[in-house]
Amino acid sequence: MLIAFEGIDGSGKSSQARLLRDWLSMRGDAYLTEWNSSEWIHEVIKEAKKKNALTPLTFSLIHATDFADRYERFIHPMISSGFHVVSDRYIYTAYARDTVRGVDLKWVKELYSFAVRPTITFFIRVTPQVALARLKAGRKTVKPAEAGADVFPGLDPEEGFLKYQGLLLEVYDRLATEEGFVVLDGERTPREVQIEIRRRVGELLGG
Amino acid sequence: MVGKIVAVEGVEGSGRTLHAEGIRTYLEEQGYGVITFGLGMSKLLGEAIARKKRDVVFQRRTLFLAYVTDLADQVENLVKPAVESGFVALADGYVLTLMAWGLTRGLERNWMEGVLRALPRPELTLALIAPPEEIMKRIIRKKGVLDPLSSGVDLCVNGDLYQGFRQYLERYLNNMRSLASDKGGVTVDTGRDFKVVQEEINSLVGGDLGEA
Repeated sequence: MLIAFEGIDGSGKSSQARLLRDWLSMRGDAYLTEWNSSEWIHEVIKEAKKKNALTPLTFSLIHATDFADRYERFIHPMISSGFHVVSDRYIYTAYARDTVRGVDLKWVKELYSFAVRPTITFFIRVTPQVALARLKAGRKTVKPAEAGADVFPGLDPEEGFLKYQGLLLEVYDRLATEEGFVVLDGERTPREVQIEIRRRVGELLGG
Repeated sequence: MVGKIVAVEGVEGSGRTLHAEGIRTYLEEQGYGVITFGLGMSKLLGEAIARKKRDVVFQRRTLFLAYVTDLADQVENLVKPAVESGFVALADGYVLTLMAWGLTRGLERNWMEGVLRALPRPELTLALIAPPEEIMKRIIRKKGVLDPLSSGVDLCVNGDLYQGFRQYLERYLNNMRSLASDKGGVTVDTGRDFKVVQEEINSLVGGDLGEA
């Protein structure tokens, strides 16, 4: 089974994904994979972002390379061997981030067409205002990537965050219908959200 | 003739780099400004690919996308500005080289074509081919050995490096031939005397670019 989590930064989806992985580990083999974490491409992306060296096209392609590396090494073989794979962000993150940068969605879908559809995709929905408040409570500053610094270089981090995450949320809302996401209200307590996730996954596992 | 891409395509040992250098010299003598780019030559990813290639040799899609990213980085930062200011951009390995590599390893043609739509089409494509024996001799001359990695060991199933390499090259060259004819490229047999081949190439390059 492949379970994907999507949502804007600060939606709490990473915590939810980890909690679900732990729960699934007690019922079988479970694996958690995170966006942008290929061991060799990740370093290249980090350097390139620091130098502001990516264009919308190369931003799109290099993240697809990172995904393909994790897909060919881990996700595909593991699903084929019956693992439960929990994916903290999946191809829909690319759909959202690339289209916000002006890349054609049809082309992005083609780029990722090799990837298997998730069994279920949880979209943890919060407003950018709530997400920002949560991030600020946890740490002092908004990261440039979260503020879409390459898209809105002129804005201060908090303004950039609200604008960039707002645009991503619009894309997610459209994708939710098109791709059949399970939309969860992420403004409830983490425990409430996790209980609903486990109930849904439990149904898929057959009780 | 203002600003165009000329793609020199072919497997390692097909004479790609040598003939690209020849074209560059020829065009510069004609007064054109020329920049060279090509597979694995980007600042963004060239070095990382060279370093990691052995580890990801069985991950065809990853390697394919890494090369597309590598080409896109050069196209956006080097080729586009140069072409816009009237240079000829000479590709030492471009989309056909990559597609023939992918086809030989079973990647879906439609998917590759879809992804590669993001890159500009060359004005002229030269698909270099030569007899497999000749290509292998060149590689042994240059490197002293047949490198299992570039010999397509990832698709060699019979364990015999030489036969495996030979079969690989036959399949690759067939793909290159048919891609060249489908995509309107000119096939150039580099199994002949270097000077004769370069003269033929020069007249193709001169003729094609002169017309436009």
